[in-house]
Amino acid sequence: MLNKVPEVTLAFWIIKILSTTVGETGADYLAVHVGLGTLVTDVITLTLLLLSLSAQFAAREYIPWRYWLAVVLISVVGTQITDFLTDELEVSLYVSTAAFAVCLAGVFAIWYSIERTLSIHSIDTTRREAFYWLAILFTFALGTAAGDLATEALSMGFTIGVLAFGALIAATYVAYRLGAGEVLTFWIAYILTRPLGASLGDLLSQSQNYGGLGLGTIVTSIVFLAVIVALVTWVSVTGFDRPAPAGPAECG
Amino acid sequence: MRTARYLVALALLGGAAATPVLAVSWTRPALAAQSQLGDLSAFRAVVVDTKALVDKGDLVGARTRIKDLEASWDDAEAGLKPRAPSEWHRIDKAIDRALAALRASTPDRANCERTLTELLQIMDQPAA
Repeated sequence: MLNKVPEVTLAFWIIKILSTTVGETGADYLAVHVGLGTLVTDVITLTLLLLSLSAQFAAREYIPWRYWLAVVLISVVGTQITDFLTDELEVSLYVSTAAFAVCLAGVFAIWYSIERTLSIHSIDTTRREAFYWLAILFTFALGTAAGDLATEALSMGFTIGVLAFGALIAATYVAYRLGAGEVLTFWIAYILTRPLGASLGDLLSQSQNYGGLGLGTIVTSIVFLAVIVALVTWVSVTGFDRPAPAGPAECG
Repeated sequence: MRTARYLVALALLGGAAATPVLAVSWTRPALAAQSQLGDLSAFRAVVVDTKALVDKGDLVGARTRIKDLEASWDDAEAGLKPRAPSEWHRIDKAIDRALAALRASTPDRANCERTLTELLQIMDQPAA
């Protein structure tokens, strides 16, 4: 089996950040505006995610639309898990943030103890793929909880959020340039792009009364979705982010 | 790796996009003295409408009208909540109780009136 996840390029991060926003606003739209309610929406998205992940696991190589559809849906479900804990079970965001951090660390620990690598350049067995997607699910849940915690505990609005999470990502990049591990910095950036994407979406969609640009959630989602589709089509046609064949000795 | 270099570009893009509205978000409407959350009059007006419908005995009309509150309140969450999270939650819970009362399979008129009155009180009397 070939490596089934894309090279990490500019397109990768743009699609990832935009997916975050579309995931959240999409779930919100179904629950509130379409009036399906939280429970029905959660069941629908979970079913779609399982179907999408089956398609991703069944593929023999990296197929952009299958991969990115799974990311968008996992973004929705990761957000819903946190929202369910916060809104329905009234779990404190401090508790859920800590719990998801522990879960994510646990996934990495087990992943490493079995595979002896956490490299994202060798997701080439079903077991590694399972670890990869489980880690991604927890990064979205953790990113949602930590982002909400920043809003609640620090009263941090989306404008400050864009700047703060952007600055943290820049700091992660600096750490990477100074020699911090590629795998570590990738996953930190993966977590931080969740609240960045949410803040960016809010900045565009929120009314000007609240300091946003006032595009509304529908226009923002359609614009973001169009950019995602265009980029995924582009990487599919050009093979721009197709993973390089990984040598068996490569380590993370 | 080129990866991380792009991250910085993204962060800068994000920062550049955010800067022009910074000034706006710090400015609060001068007349919004009644709540740390700012001007809630648009939301309050829907509650008043809904309560008037309940008072007339039109529970179906009330259920339809409060949907506007649910949708607009939800849309404004990212803008309002950071201003005063605990106050936002108090109102959010009160809205949930009113929604639950109006959407009960056999809505109880007295319960609808009570939850809507409480919602108005909570909107009008923010925590000190």
